Amino acid sequence: MALTITCPICGKRSGYEFRFGGEDKGPPPQAAGLTPAAWCDYVHRNNCVAGVQKEWWCHRQGCGTWFSIYRDTTKNLEVAGPQSEDV
Amino acid sequence: MKRLAGLPTLRVNSARAVSIEYDGKRFHGVEGDTVATLLYANGTRIFSRSLKYHRPRGLYSLDGQSSNTYVDVDDIPNVCAENTFVGNGMRVEPQNVLGTPEHDWMAFMDKLSWAMPAGFYYTIFHKPARLWPIAVRHIRKTAGLGSLSPDVELRGRFDQIYPAADVCIIGAGPAGMSAALAAAAQKLRVILLESRPWLGGYFDYRTRNHKPGMPLYLRGRQLADQLEQAPNIRIFKHTAVIGCYSNNLITAFQRGSEADCFAERYVQIRAESVVVATGCIERPLLFENNDRPGIMQIGCAHRLARTWGVLAGEQAVFSIGHDLGIEAAIDLHDLGLSIACVADVREDGCDPALPPQLEARNIPFYPGWVAAKAHGRKVLKKVTLTNLSGVCKQQFDCDTLVASAGLTPVTGPLALAGARLEYDAHTGYFLPTGIPQKMHAAGRMLGLEDPTAIELSGRLAGLRAVADCGMAVGATISGVEEELAKLPGPARGSKFVVAPVEGKKTFVCFDEDVTIQNIDQAMRLGFDVTELIKRFTSAGTGPGQGGIAGHNLPLYVALTHRSPDLHPRPTTVRPPLVPTLLATYAGTNHPMSKRTPVHASQVAAGGVMERLQPWQRARRFCADTTARAEIENVRTNVGMLDASTLGKFRIFGPDALKALQRVYVSDMARVSTGRMYYSAMCNEDGCVIDDGVATQIAENDYYFTTSTGRAGETSEWIRYHTRYDRWDFHIINLTDAYGVINLAGPNARKVLEKVVDGAVSNEAFPFLGFREFMVHGAIPVRAMRLGFVGELSFELHVPSSYMQSLWDILEEAGEEFAIWNFGLEAQNTLRLEKGHVILGSESEQRTTLHDIGLGFFWHRDKLEAQTVGAVALKQTENDTSRLKLVGFKMEEPAARAPRDGSPIVAERIRGYVCTARYSYALKEPVGMALVEGYLAKNATRLTIFEDDCKGELMKAKVVPMPFYDPTGKRMRM
Repeated sequence: MALTITCPICGKRSGYEFRFGGEDKGPPPQAAGLTPAAWCDYVHRNNCVAGVQKEWWCHRQGCGTWFSIYRDTTKNLEVAGPQSEDV
Repeated sequence: MKRLAGLPTLRVNSARAVSIEYDGKRFHGVEGDTVATLLYANGTRIFSRSLKYHRPRGLYSLDGQSSNTYVDVDDIPNVCAENTFVGNGMRVEPQNVLGTPEHDWMAFMDKLSWAMPAGFYYTIFHKPARLWPIAVRHIRKTAGLGSLSPDVELRGRFDQIYPAADVCIIGAGPAGMSAALAAAAQKLRVILLESRPWLGGYFDYRTRNHKPGMPLYLRGRQLADQLEQAPNIRIFKHTAVIGCYSNNLITAFQRGSEADCFAERYVQIRAESVVVATGCIERPLLFENNDRPGIMQIGCAHRLARTWGVLAGEQAVFSIGHDLGIEAAIDLHDLGLSIACVADVREDGCDPALPPQLEARNIPFYPGWVAAKAHGRKVLKKVTLTNLSGVCKQQFDCDTLVASAGLTPVTGPLALAGARLEYDAHTGYFLPTGIPQKMHAAGRMLGLEDPTAIELSGRLAGLRAVADCGMAVGATISGVEEELAKLPGPARGSKFVVAPVEGKKTFVCFDEDVTIQNIDQAMRLGFDVTELIKRFTSAGTGPGQGGIAGHNLPLYVALTHRSPDLHPRPTTVRPPLVPTLLATYAGTNHPMSKRTPVHASQVAAGGVMERLQPWQRARRFCADTTARAEIENVRTNVGMLDASTLGKFRIFGPDALKALQRVYVSDMARVSTGRMYYSAMCNEDGCVIDDGVATQIAENDYYFTTSTGRAGETSEWIRYHTRYDRWDFHIINLTDAYGVINLAGPNARKVLEKVVDGAVSNEAFPFLGFREFMVHGAIPVRAMRLGFVGELSFELHVPSSYMQSLWDILEEAGEEFAIWNFGLEAQNTLRLEKGHVILGSESEQRTTLHDIGLGFFWHRDKLEAQTVGAVALKQTENDTSRLKLVGFKMEEPAARAPRDGSPIVAERIRGYVCTARYSYALKEPVGMALVEGYLAKNATRLTIFEDDCKGELMKAKVVPMPFYDPTGKRMRM
């Protein structure tokens, strides 16, 4: 795997050390009034961005931390995130 | 054949003889020979027969650019003879021949080539359809490369290494070596990869002067010596690059020599910066019968003599497009090869110093002439040369034709890394543009010809790589740039592609037998993009991976195409760049598993060990596969199970309870000190993934267990599902820190009370209780009363280092009761009789908590906890369309138990048997099954299918669970 990921605790490491945790879709929606379809969408629907997306990774073979990075899915490269969180 | 002796450039040791067996006969060579050079020196000219037409093929390059010299070595097919060193006693066989390469009974296929146009395989035999299987069988028999026997075993060790470097340099020619020295001088860690077995590149075999008194080969060896002495340069020779990925990840494989501990090894390098100095290969000359044995590239003929001491033949003709060809002709003439003439496809532009040297040796020089046709039925006998218009012709007798149209750069690594290749009209090369950051190209691949300029461009690239590593070398870089600007830049190269030919056998690709006629045919059919023409004709898809066809194909397409704005563009390159053994990718198979602290005791007690996830565990301790004696010992006496593989965790901190509430379905606020609490975890779909017990050790401090299979993932799981919350808790995986003994059976208490310092009576330590004891005043034990096997039992958790001691103490204490081990098989039957589930046996990925009848554990009123799976559990609560877990017995108690996993059928499949065993306690088989809802009612008949039942379905009926001790008296004793 050519991907490298920068763990906030351990620094830049080979992608083999990490486990993918999916796109960052935000915290789960509140259960009250949630339809099965809406819940299923939250759990299983992905945006599959061709470009830069924010996603979760776990430094499984290191410190065990979950953190999010920005990755360019077309080049499989970690990239700097947007300056402002609302981008 | 006599070898040239005493040449300073030789890479063979003539003093040591080696021999191989080829086609049943013994051949002798010298140490340092490759299979190809040894056979060539012994007069072999035809090495193989081609894929489709069974045309004779011979030595063409020396770097494995085509499958011409693929042979079978010690039963391994498709071994490239050109880069395989001879080992004593090697057994070599030709491949894809019926007979011998000289006399191949399939040679008539060449006459049938009219019946095999490009794509015939797809277009001819599909109608009528019944013809296809017959055609396929015959085509596969006649066409192809070597064949692999299914039971052949690859000898040797296949290894992998993963080094890291500051600067990785691909190619150890003059540019690569200079780059390595420049980077090493800055104290950086340098890795140098070279596909040939020695350093030097195209300096290595040439005697032309670099500077007065310094021939090129000496200069090459001088640089190589400096490299070998630098402690911070790691050199990988005989190492071919196969891949080049983002973030400068380079993959390669190295062939081991006799001194190495590996036959081949996979090398994966991560570098801060990469220099690609792969140089050039020769672009083949297209003319009629350009594949006849005896025709070879300039480098092949020159290196054969200079490196291996073998003259290519008696009488040679040269038809070349580069100064290297004229230089080779002069040198080979001086070494004793008779040269009939040298034709140069360039009408002008050659080094003016060279033609007079030809003249001085009486070698006729034909600028603007080219080989148009090779003659000879099997091997080359003579050649027709023509001027470029094809009007004048002249024939020359010869046994060797050195042919090449010009040079072409080796851009594979750069293209893989994302560079684009653009045709350059000055050099005639496909030059890389848009090279990714921290990657640099250097040397001859940029079109440079002057040896000093090549070295300097390597030094420049090396310095730029140094700058990538964050060192301040800007001033040095500018200095080198200025110096390089004063030296000759890229030279004008030959753009010649195809000779004026008339026949039908001008091969663009040797591997796949693709001629220019096939390309023309594809274009007539409307294919206009090189990529598509490549796929339709299969040109460049053979093992040589476009080494021969790669750049001639797009040039020929562009030349032939009528559209004026069509730019030649090479086809996409993909890894692996060179053929690699799958064994090299697979590496050494290390069967690794974890052992519990009492593994030795288990084995010594006769345990039949098996792999359970990462662990070695004892299946049973008796010869009987049903483990009857172990089961009965637990039911009536006392047994011991090594359960150390259970997942064990401590979670503590102010938010520990919140985290437990998040992942466990039940109300974890009820977990208290001194008691065990059973619960389960689900995923977001409500599917059950784990179950276990938890207790509170102190305030905000909990201890819990998971199943063996989830031990590795639980920390990650809890942290994942609390990742948005920023809660304050810590989780520690104690799985390997604690061993577990399950002491079970009616006599368990009598054994335990002999060794612990506290009361273990039913009142003092009731069912589901949790106590901490000291054993013999020294061993701290966490004891819990659980009932997985359905008898009075104590699960003892003890620090791993004490595990063996506790095991021995319990064995000794239990001796008077004849205490005995039990294994997984006994435990499985014991818990089945109790209707206790094992997740993974009684559930699969889609099974919810409701499906296995444990829905009552779900605490629906803790919405604020946002328990994982709660939403789905609520949504599927009343879903009747799902499989349900039921207990069953056979209608005939005398029948045997069905096999685990057997489908339950009624017109179609309605479920399956999860686990079924003969119960010695109940004297009949019992089992659990997942079935459709309508079959789940009590007393419903289940009909079970087994693979070999021949229509005789087994009949069972649904019964309530547990089967054994339904009120649970025995575990509460």
